[in-house]
Amino acid sequence: MAETAALAYSRRFFFLYDSSKVQEEEDRTREGIYYFSPEDTPVDQQELLCGQLAGVCRCVSEMSSSPVRLLRLRKSKYAVRMKDSFLWALSCVVDIPDVSVCDLLDQLIALFCFYNGPVRQSYQLYSKEDLALRWARYLCHLQGGSTELHNIFSCVRTIDSTHIDPLLLLKAALILQACQRCPLVLAGCILYRGRVVSTQMTPALTMKVMVYETQTYSQDFRVTANGLSSSVGSPSSFTATTQVFLTPTELYMLRCHPVDRACRSHCSQPPCQPSKSRFLSRTLSDTPTTDTDSSSLDCPPVSYQTMPSSPRSSLSDEPYFSPIPSRVNTPLHSNLMNQSEYFTPDSHDHGTLNGTNLCAVKESLAGLNIKQDTDASSGSETKSEGLNSDQDTQSDEIKALANGYEQSNCLDNHSDHDNQIQNEENKLDANNHVANKNGKFQGETEEEARTKSKQVEGRLKEKYEPRNTPSPHETLADTSLVPSVLYQHRVRGLVLALLVEPEFNTDPTAREEVHHSSMASLNGLEAHLRNTSPGTPGPPGPYTFAHYDCIQNTLTTNVCGRSAGPQEAFVRATKLLHSHFSHLDTLQEAIVRLGSAVYGTRSMAQETYFLQQGTPVRNSGSPDPQDSAFSLPRKARQRLLKHGVNLL
Amino acid sequence: MKCLLLANESAEVLFYWTDTEFEQRVQEQYGVSQEEGERLPAFEDSINTLFAPIIISCSTMVDRLGDNYTSFSTENNHIYVLHQFEECLYIAVNGDGDETEEDLKRKIFVMKKLTEIMFGMVTFSGALLRKELRPQDTEQRNRLWKKLRSLLETYSRLRENDQSFLVEAVERLIHPTLCEQCIEFLERRLVQQINSNMDRMGEEVLHAFILVHTKLLAFYSSRNASNLYSSDLLALIILVQDLYPSKINLDETSELESSSVPEVFYTPEPSPPERESVRQRGDSPPVFQFVDPDVQMAEDSLQTLEAPTPDPSAPSRVFLESKECPMPHSMYCLPLWPGITLVLLTKVFFYYKTSKAKTICTVSMSYLFIYLFIYLKSTFTSQLQNAWTDFKNKAFSRSGSGFTRDLLPSCRNMKTQLCGVYRQFFAAECMGSSQRLAPHLQERALSMVQEKLMDWKDFLLVKSKRNITMEFPGLIHFIYVDRSNGQMIAPSLNVTDRTVSELGKGPLADFIKKKVWSLVATAQRYLQKGYATVTLRDGDYFYCYFLWFENETGYKLEVIDIPSSPDDGAPVGMLTCDYYRKLLRYYSKKHQNEVVKCYELFTVHLGVIPNEYILQHCSQLARKLWEPTRIPLL
Repeated sequence: MAETAALAYSRRFFFLYDSSKVQEEEDRTREGIYYFSPEDTPVDQQELLCGQLAGVCRCVSEMSSSPVRLLRLRKSKYAVRMKDSFLWALSCVVDIPDVSVCDLLDQLIALFCFYNGPVRQSYQLYSKEDLALRWARYLCHLQGGSTELHNIFSCVRTIDSTHIDPLLLLKAALILQACQRCPLVLAGCILYRGRVVSTQMTPALTMKVMVYETQTYSQDFRVTANGLSSSVGSPSSFTATTQVFLTPTELYMLRCHPVDRACRSHCSQPPCQPSKSRFLSRTLSDTPTTDTDSSSLDCPPVSYQTMPSSPRSSLSDEPYFSPIPSRVNTPLHSNLMNQSEYFTPDSHDHGTLNGTNLCAVKESLAGLNIKQDTDASSGSETKSEGLNSDQDTQSDEIKALANGYEQSNCLDNHSDHDNQIQNEENKLDANNHVANKNGKFQGETEEEARTKSKQVEGRLKEKYEPRNTPSPHETLADTSLVPSVLYQHRVRGLVLALLVEPEFNTDPTAREEVHHSSMASLNGLEAHLRNTSPGTPGPPGPYTFAHYDCIQNTLTTNVCGRSAGPQEAFVRATKLLHSHFSHLDTLQEAIVRLGSAVYGTRSMAQETYFLQQGTPVRNSGSPDPQDSAFSLPRKARQRLLKHGVNLL
Repeated sequence: MKCLLLANESAEVLFYWTDTEFEQRVQEQYGVSQEEGERLPAFEDSINTLFAPIIISCSTMVDRLGDNYTSFSTENNHIYVLHQFEECLYIAVNGDGDETEEDLKRKIFVMKKLTEIMFGMVTFSGALLRKELRPQDTEQRNRLWKKLRSLLETYSRLRENDQSFLVEAVERLIHPTLCEQCIEFLERRLVQQINSNMDRMGEEVLHAFILVHTKLLAFYSSRNASNLYSSDLLALIILVQDLYPSKINLDETSELESSSVPEVFYTPEPSPPERESVRQRGDSPPVFQFVDPDVQMAEDSLQTLEAPTPDPSAPSRVFLESKECPMPHSMYCLPLWPGITLVLLTKVFFYYKTSKAKTICTVSMSYLFIYLFIYLKSTFTSQLQNAWTDFKNKAFSRSGSGFTRDLLPSCRNMKTQLCGVYRQFFAAECMGSSQRLAPHLQERALSMVQEKLMDWKDFLLVKSKRNITMEFPGLIHFIYVDRSNGQMIAPSLNVTDRTVSELGKGPLADFIKKKVWSLVATAQRYLQKGYATVTLRDGDYFYCYFLWFENETGYKLEVIDIPSSPDDGAPVGMLTCDYYRKLLRYYSKKHQNEVVKCYELFTVHLGVIPNEYILQHCSQLARKLWEPTRIPLL
């Protein structure tokens, strides 16, 4: 199957086209082509495809007053995104579910924006060639699923937990928790050889962070074109930071952590409310802290507001394992916290963009959008300093951007690193300043935010789809991206990746803090993981299955890379059923038969597919209670228990 | 917000249909002037302008990439479906969420089928079809477009409300005794009498059938008639329903008597105000603005009065499939009572021309079997002769290109010439001829059947609403289809009888109806991919779909792997490209020594019923329903 998949994906086209570059009669189509993959496609064919597709999409979107989302040809189909004069299109073979290819394109765009910021701005700052490398890298990363199934579900690759001592997972979770004690750390994840060991982030964010990891890992820790300047010294262990851009939702999700706790003490949740894990991560960090941390819950929100808002907070003074929640010291947090009174209890179940937390997302979106409004209207001063103004940014900031805010340090040479940081401080001060300002503005318009959020709500509800991918409208809304920093600490194959506040870069104490608190544990964890034999997979049972966790965005399957016969039939049926499930929310289970029968079942949290191998008993296909196909649900329940899949 | 249009390669719109919403939207976008008189060409122009970029891009894609668009969908869920038949591009648009991509594709294929019924093989040539669909005379064109639009709307109405159009199989009235009597009556009395009468004017009745609404009571084919395919029969029912629409309203049995349907249509004496409105409509744009069923009825009645042949005794010309090629027939629709219609299909004799034309058509159907030409050369028109010589030189001579892509233009040219011959022989001549059964003969036929069915008429009308009931606890609905003869059985969804009384009216019935419709759509989608068994648990319901094969004695044959059809292929059904005929042919290859039959069963159960009971029900149902389909058709 890998081969067929590779073949199918090799015919995949992806392009980014800017129609504003092709306005006049004499303008050549190639001027508008920002990126085209595969890059060896003859230019005239590139022009043909871009020109025709962009033209026809524009025509259709004008007629329907709405952007085109999917375009089908007889032999292929294209997921399409249109925004301003930009058009992204990603093609695939026709039997890939619509939902998969559309998700993939959204992820691709989101990835680009995560590392490069708004698209228009990126193309002002960097050359087409530089960015082409990045598109290629992201494309490669997203399509690099080990099986076709991984690509269909576009899931996060995790380590095989069945062959790993659970204590190691616990250890990983604890490392992440320990890092969070630094108030500048938003959330983190630990990766081992391109697979997730533990994460506190949403699957979508984890996926984004992983690209960076994979890229640095595969490039032998060399300097990359991504503006990452790093890695001097020991190649087996180093730390680096790079600038990344978060959507307001992502940022809210990362920061709302303390709000959550504070609020839980106030508003009593309805008892029937299923208490979902906060970050839906695979770590223990999100086991109901409500119970254990009850002391901290009693802290009224006022006390958080009195926290110093300087990023140079005396981190070192804070005792380890302080019950006081971290990251509460920016005004934005306190503001969000106040707003939280207006949240419905549902809103505390955040994590992936799941139906339940929609409300929270809406609120935050509304709030942040308004923040921009005020930014824009509050005079040139703020505008020039505003995080989100892409034209009038100060030269310093541009320089900083060009450098990607990246810093590196060598483990053995801390003084160098400190100096470097000192040098960068001036640039970054501006940043802090803005962050504070933003917070203030938002505070002022809180009232307005609430009223507006109600209006936004309606619109959002219409467009909202419960997906793991971030709302594309958000990603595409260039101006709403908020710069943040990705910190990475690598120990050979193991990587600790943390999303941190921008101030983290200017705070050597914080850096050191995080570095030291995690280094020993990381080394230990790496040694353990390295010595864990990958575990030869047992003989594949007389059945084929795939279990997709919609919340963690992970896939468990015994379909191996190369599949033929029943496995191929299984993948084919799975594609159809997954597509069906994604279209029909009320569909719970299905059995379909072409030769051999495949059983699919799903709940809010999971999708499971099962095929019993062996020569099917002769049957006519006519309704027959003895037909073995209808015993599949029972068999699936029995067989999959040992894979940790509970279908009861 | 719906639209369907046909365009040729030069982006000329050959036909279009829009609903009011779409029209308004276009007018808003283009600010088309609302003035009378100016409106019509302006709207057509704006449609042209709107779609031209898409149409042109389509030809570019075909020419340069050998690929073509099949659909677009937008973020606000507007769907555009495109399909190219020969040189004609069909585009269907939906912006109100009523139709899926599959529905739109089906609509396009049905539209294509309707043009085939009306114009036969002329549809194979873009140039000739253009001549037919865009006559020079504006009035003639308006009449034709109006007819086509009305047919399209009739189809959509049936597809939306009638289960037999949902699964595309003919529904029969389950009453073996009466059915048999009627068939005998049609054969011995009616057809024999007409065919032996001197006034039949060279026409011979080949098929006769009686419809109660859309359901078939009796069907008779004369011995020398070729088979009438289910796809044609379904298309003919659309034509009949277009002429004499049944009110497909929930719970209408009581209204039937009062509804003044066919007589009014048939009497060419409408009251003056109505006449007035007819004239007005003639001037206004040919866009339908139906609001409620009652209005639609009135509209349709006017439609009939305005039809190209105002003479009620004139038949409609229909082209029906035969082994060789679509052959022209005359269709006489004689309304017995409101909701009950007698249909006669006659063959027009062309005497000497027919045999030669038939051969030519055989050739053109598969125009690479050239050798037949050699025998026919003498009758060729000079253009066809030239085209043939050109083709021959290119294909067979040493200097020629041989059988390569370069041969396509000459093939195309020859096809056009052949279609021209076809048109000359069949279409043009038939269309113009006033040949028909003498009116008194038609009247005689009508009164004979009326007499025969007088006592049954009320029963039939009720029966057509409660064709079959079946008691299984937990069973909510089923549809059983015999694909070998294209017939189906299902309880009515809109009846108040015991089995479905709870579902009789209101939101629940509507809900179930939606579920049944989506079940059929889903099953067809899976079948298209080769899946012949599907069970689904959706909300509180459990759905089953089975397709299987039997031999004539009812022995169930082993299942085969059904090939998956390409996404851009014809939708699964009978009205459109007859998927099941192909499926049966495919299966028969493996069972050459026996007659193969194909059956389908769709069921909806309450989800609380344990699976094993549901499957037991299904198997019992299939057994019980097997019998009624044995009622002989002939």
